[in-house]
Amino acid sequence: NRDSTKCRAAVTRVEIDVFFNFHVLFVFQGKWKNKERVLVFSSRGINFRTRHLMQDLKTMMPHSKADTKMDRKDKLFVVNEVCEIKNCNKCIFFEAKKNMDLYMWVSNVPHGPSAKFLVQNVHTLAELKMTGNCLKGSRPLLSFDPKFDKEPHYALLKELFTQTFSTPQYHPKSQPFVDHVLTFTIADKRIWFRNYQIIEEDASLVEIGPRFVLNLIKIFQGSFGGPTLYENPHFQSPNMCRRLMRMEKAARQKERQMVKEIRLEKRKEVKEVLTEDVTDDVFVTPAEEKPKEVEHEAPRPSKSKKKKKLKLTELKKRTLLKRKGLR
Amino acid sequence: MADVEMETQMGLDSEEDYGELSDAELQEAFSKGLLKPGLNVPLEEPKKAVNNIEGLKMCLAEFKKNLPWVERLDLTNHPAVDVLAKIEGTLNKKQSSGEIDAEDDFQREMYFYRQAQATVLEALPKLKKLQIPTKRPDDYFAEMAKTDQHMQKVRKKLMQKQMAIEKSEKAKKLREQRKFGKKVQVEVLQKRQKAKKAMMTAVKKYQKGMTDKLDFLEGDQEGKKGSTASKSQMSKKGPNAKRKYKDQKFGFGGKKKGSKWNTKESFNDVSGFRAKTAHGKGGKKFNKGGKKNKRPGKETRRKMKARK
Repeated sequence: NRDSTKCRAAVTRVEIDVFFNFHVLFVFQGKWKNKERVLVFSSRGINFRTRHLMQDLKTMMPHSKADTKMDRKDKLFVVNEVCEIKNCNKCIFFEAKKNMDLYMWVSNVPHGPSAKFLVQNVHTLAELKMTGNCLKGSRPLLSFDPKFDKEPHYALLKELFTQTFSTPQYHPKSQPFVDHVLTFTIADKRIWFRNYQIIEEDASLVEIGPRFVLNLIKIFQGSFGGPTLYENPHFQSPNMCRRLMRMEKAARQKERQMVKEIRLEKRKEVKEVLTEDVTDDVFVTPAEEKPKEVEHEAPRPSKSKKKKKLKLTELKKRTLLKRKGLR
Repeated sequence: MADVEMETQMGLDSEEDYGELSDAELQEAFSKGLLKPGLNVPLEEPKKAVNNIEGLKMCLAEFKKNLPWVERLDLTNHPAVDVLAKIEGTLNKKQSSGEIDAEDDFQREMYFYRQAQATVLEALPKLKKLQIPTKRPDDYFAEMAKTDQHMQKVRKKLMQKQMAIEKSEKAKKLREQRKFGKKVQVEVLQKRQKAKKAMMTAVKKYQKGMTDKLDFLEGDQEGKKGSTASKSQMSKKGPNAKRKYKDQKFGFGGKKKGSKWNTKESFNDVSGFRAKTAHGKGGKKFNKGGKKNKRPGKETRRKMKARK
């Protein structure tokens, strides 16, 4: 049993965990130098999934702070002021539009660059398919795709992500163990984010969550504004996507309509009377003329039929009598 | 002349957009060879996406914080080699070049997984050097990202899934067994019917006199012996003596009318005579093995009752 009251000379902070009612003595032998603070908040009109995603990010990042929802009426550079008040130097801001589209801003607040993304395929921590678990506030390993080094805009994004997502060493709320890894991969011109728990030393992993896909829209030189440094040519706004789909459907319907109309017209058309074919009469052969016979006498009734009839009736009679027992 | 015609043509065909350019200018441009005859439509330049590479690089240089690796813990690496795919030989060309098919879910997720794996494999020795622990000791309790309750739910779900799979497998096996059993039953019945048919046809043939041989009888026995090879020990002696006698007397056609009458031979045959049995003295064998719960008579029973 550890004696919870003992303390060493180099202790700077003691962490007590109330949840399990165990007193844990934790010794920080270093000073927290890298003062990185991230403000995570959103605008109004977000749905439950976005809210959970925000919560998950706050859980994952012990160096994060939360704030109340921002009114959409305010211009974006108000965010900078909010960050200043909270003494944060990074910001993750979620913007929800039309209750359907979610945009994420990642920014280095006072002067630095900022980037706007469209967020898709959000899966939160609470999903039962994410079976991994990690310490709350443990420091993550960050894993980047080599494609991040190949282009300047990706390199900038890499730096931004590194500074935002990595937990500073000796942060008071952090745990000293490194037990999960965040991966950023580029596929299909989008950035895919995954969070895995390290189970064994041989690198067997289980997914913890959350997971999402970022589609880069623009990179700005300033924080939430300023000249555009990069615009993603492959990005198509969700409105555009929806519009194109609707137009496609409309085009298909129009085509069907047109085909129908053409068919109807064809039917109504006055049909040509084809000229008579000369060869029609080739195989017509008139029948031979027979001499007309005039019959003077009535024809004889055919006996066979009558005989048959007689026979039949006779048979019936016989059977009847037999049944009656007279024969 | 041709020039004038062209100009008039252009004048007629030109749209409102051309209002900016006067006819004289158009004529000049045509004479220079910039405009070609025919309908000219002003093309819009495709929108160019901003890609300020210099700006990006400058910004990055300013923004970059040169922190020691310990603070950042970031790594850039290719995914770990897919051992399984190599063994199976299903490595795509695409995979080896680094392109991921985002539509193929499984492949994509495996790619991410392997990337994380490669990072972990690279980073763990580094962390060990820096004396940063990666394994949580068993007695270290702290708050987890997901609550215990939640983890229990997860475990429950996994168990349910497993059970469902097992159940379905069992059901499949049962179905297969039943099908198989039914198959076997049907086969056996068919076999019997075939044998019966064959025997009947052979018998009919013999009756009609088409075949002299009685081979079909032996053939049947042979067939039986062949199939019951395992029971050869039991049927070594062949059919019972009783069976033999009865077959001789009642089986397989032949004269049946006088079968119960004595013949000279059967009358003179005294082999079945047992003197003791004939005189009624073979007692031991035929007793029921002594008194087995012999019930006392009526009088005795009444007396017993009375005594009580």
